[in-house]
Amino acid sequence: MTIWPRSLGTRTAAVMMLMLATVQIVGLTIHALDRVELQRLAQTRDVGVRVMSLYRSVALAAPDQREDVLQELERRGTDQRDGMTAELLPHPPADEELPQTPIGLRRPIVVSMGLVPVPGPARARDIVMLGNSDQERLLIGMHVPDGPWLVIHMPLPPPRIWHSRSFLVAFVLMTAAAALITWWATSRLTAPVRMLANAAEALGRDVRAPPLPEDGPSEIALAASAFNTMAMRIRRFVQDRTFMLTAIGHDLRTPITRLKLRTEFIDDEDMRRKMLADLDELESMVSATLAFGRDVTIDEPVSTVDLAELVRTVLDEAGDGRPDLADQIGYAGPHHLPFRGRPVALKRALSNLVQNALAYGGSAQATLSCADGMAQLLVEDSGPGIPLAELDRVFQPFHRVEASRNKETGGMGLGLPITRNIIRAHGGDVVLDNRPTGGARATVTLPV
Amino acid sequence: METAASQAANAPPPHILVVDDDREIRDLLARFLERHGLRVTAVRDAREARRALPHGHFQMVVLDLMLPGETGMDFARWLRSPASGHASIGLVMLTAMGEETDRIIGLELGADDYVPKPFNPRELLARMRAVLRRTSDTARPADATQPRLMRFGGWTLDPARRRLLNPDQVEVPVTGGEYDLLLALVERANRVLTRDMLLDLLRGRQAGPFDRAIDVAISRLRRKLEDNGRHAQIIKTVRGGGYVLAAEVERL
Repeated sequence: MTIWPRSLGTRTAAVMMLMLATVQIVGLTIHALDRVELQRLAQTRDVGVRVMSLYRSVALAAPDQREDVLQELERRGTDQRDGMTAELLPHPPADEELPQTPIGLRRPIVVSMGLVPVPGPARARDIVMLGNSDQERLLIGMHVPDGPWLVIHMPLPPPRIWHSRSFLVAFVLMTAAAALITWWATSRLTAPVRMLANAAEALGRDVRAPPLPEDGPSEIALAASAFNTMAMRIRRFVQDRTFMLTAIGHDLRTPITRLKLRTEFIDDEDMRRKMLADLDELESMVSATLAFGRDVTIDEPVSTVDLAELVRTVLDEAGDGRPDLADQIGYAGPHHLPFRGRPVALKRALSNLVQNALAYGGSAQATLSCADGMAQLLVEDSGPGIPLAELDRVFQPFHRVEASRNKETGGMGLGLPITRNIIRAHGGDVVLDNRPTGGARATVTLPV
Repeated sequence: METAASQAANAPPPHILVVDDDREIRDLLARFLERHGLRVTAVRDAREARRALPHGHFQMVVLDLMLPGETGMDFARWLRSPASGHASIGLVMLTAMGEETDRIIGLELGADDYVPKPFNPRELLARMRAVLRRTSDTARPADATQPRLMRFGGWTLDPARRRLLNPDQVEVPVTGGEYDLLLALVERANRVLTRDMLLDLLRGRQAGPFDRAIDVAISRLRRKLEDNGRHAQIIKTVRGGGYVLAAEVERL
């Protein structure tokens, strides 16, 4: 259902407004029905008193002046405003359309007539009452003693329930006030939920995000406290992992240092060189493990660095390391691109990509561009590319493309995971795919 | 090594104080350095180092930062204070690899260089030699410690973090070799550095033919300094083989 709003606050407000409207409508209907009773009561009293007043004036007048009194009263027009008319007839009123007035309506009118005092001899001999509220008019005949019938047509408008203006104003005002209070209350009530969502989001980006305040309504405080406990456990877990990896690294560096020193006392130069190479490999494994375990955001402050020059420096160093492939390394893009980031970490991330391109693809062409606030770096090689099945697994730690499990190209399987950790810590991402023309391509995007 | 041999012939060998708590590393390092023409006294902690310092005419201290008892940092701070009487002695720090903050603090405390463990012994030797050359340099300022920042022609060199900043304060990345080369040129601004001196600086750092490495590094530095190769204004080529940094250097 698309009408149903997505936000919890709006939903709660909508439900509450619906409830309020229902309650208002029911309440106002009860009130209106009460009004109908009241209006009917007032109407019967009005009819009784007016009819009797007219009768009194006519009955008390001299018999030959009765017609004149009636005309005089009509001329003054006091009773014509709602269509009441009166005439003197020699016979009781008759109208085929009108039934006898039911006793329920007749009695209160007759009772009201008693409110107008009439001297005993002038009292009406007989009262005929026709019509009902259904016909919306009454025909009342009163027999003047020794005289004609005074016949009165009396409109009987139905009670008007929704007539009052104040009623409408009250309804609108109440609805508006209720809506305002509902909106305020629900936005207050749902604010902690939003806060919780924001905190979870912040935790995802930075494990050391500040804890939530544990106040407010008890349920919210409980949720905040549970969330903080969870965040603390995650933090401890990350810390433990970092401590463990750092400890391993530290413990290994002493024996590796000793071994490197010992190689200096080996007379066989060839052997010495090979041992040193092995130790370098061992060291790079340890440092890769350390780099993977470490949270890049802890070690290094953010500063402005020339990303273009960083890429070129990485390429230069890669070329120095592999002089045989130096011709296969190229850069295209701007000369300068200032970027806010962590230079040492970024250099490590980009260096891994370039090293991979050289190791697996035998070349590294870097293309840097910047558009719409996003810097994009392509690192392309001309090797066999990456098997489709491996494309999404190459970012898993300690995973290595099967065919490359040999000494020349094999590493720890941590290069790409480290690269992705670093790039993501900068708010960007890195993906790998195969070029249509052959070879693998790494695409790094970074928000400038 | 030729340079070592000639040095040994001309002057008494420099005396080095090695401070490391690992006995094996201490002994192996002492043997290795002695083999390359240096005199070495090795001690296990800061207390022993303080006791040894007044008696040896030391030119340099090689200090492990992770020491039992008084830390290497505290010892370095004391060493650089006038109270030690050895404030201008060469100081090379050894510490855990990649500990960026350690390195920054260490260099800010006045270490002349920093070598992460596990180090390649020959690279350590090359770095020690470079520091020895620098500290024996008569032009070395009296306070011996490196300035926090050096500014030349709008550019800034930040020795503590081994960074180069352009006039807009944007970091321009440099490799370790390029940094050492630039630092040498900046420290001896307006003096010609011969190819041999620069070669020594890069030794142990770069693979491949050194001759070419110097030219490549200089041309990359010029690119980074936006110094047009043909009409270079900052790093000038001197006929007869050498380079000079032609700019006023402001030490901050």
